Amino acid sequence: MRYLSYILALLAGAALSLEGAIYGELGKTIGQLETSFYNFFMGSIIIGLLWLFFGKGELSYTVEAPKWTLLGGVLGVLYLTSIVISVPFVGVGITMVAVIIGQLVMSMIIEHYGWLGSKRSRINKEKIFAVISMIIALILVN
Amino acid sequence: MDILMILFTLFGGITLSAQSAVNGTFSRKAGTFETTLLTFLTGSMFLAILILFFGQGNLLAILEVPKWQLSAVFLGVLFLLFIVTAVPRIGVIATNITVIIGQLVIGVVIDNFGWFNSLVIPLDWKRSVALLFMIIALYFIYKGNKRSNEETNSQHF
Repeated sequence: MRYLSYILALLAGAALSLEGAIYGELGKTIGQLETSFYNFFMGSIIIGLLWLFFGKGELSYTVEAPKWTLLGGVLGVLYLTSIVISVPFVGVGITMVAVIIGQLVMSMIIEHYGWLGSKRSRINKEKIFAVISMIIALILVN
Repeated sequence: MDILMILFTLFGGITLSAQSAVNGTFSRKAGTFETTLLTFLTGSMFLAILILFFGQGNLLAILEVPKWQLSAVFLGVLFLLFIVTAVPRIGVIATNITVIIGQLVIGVVIDNFGWFNSLVIPLDWKRSVALLFMIIALYFIYKGNKRSNEETNSQHF
């Protein structure tokens, strides 16, 4: 099951890249905010159907859950919008590097302190090596 | 101005990892499909308001663009479904690093073949070495994660 989760996360990253490349084209025709809206709106319809047939959880938990756990959608929009705004100023390359560094450092801090309900997992040598290797890879790609 | 933009984008990366942590927590009680549905629904509500005030494009042009450009929405749904599944099992940082690796590998492939009208950037030695470092990073994150899990477990018992 652990291996499967790593494979799913790899596929998720692949999907994000393909999505970015395709939406870049769509954004030229209909506008960037409109592209994000299309993604979230059509996405709601697709996942709504999937949920009707395959959902086994409890959607009604939404009303009882602590309010901060409902912020996922808004955070996603902030991410997309910040990228859309900065690409014309600094280019795709630097934008992606900045996003990834923010993502890496923040996920380490979140997990180190067990924030936002995540399982607490301390920073260790291996994790720091992993981040250093990622930064080297980022420099080489650009 | 550029420095400000880079800081702004750093903040974008921060929101992305915060999102994966928040969604992972919510999905433990509500379920994978339910979490994804809620994220998409609240995201469209928020964007609907943004578009009303700041939208300068033409949403109706969606009827005229080539259909393949619209197919990306399936990828968007898959992305979120996979993230929500992975975070409760392997944690925030392992999920995020693995996502980034998948993202960079496909990015390099897209550039190499110039798919979707993108600029053609061939896979040279620098990019091959970069791929190697990503594999090393993946190895370290897997090991580091295993070690901190073992430490947490031994503290409990």
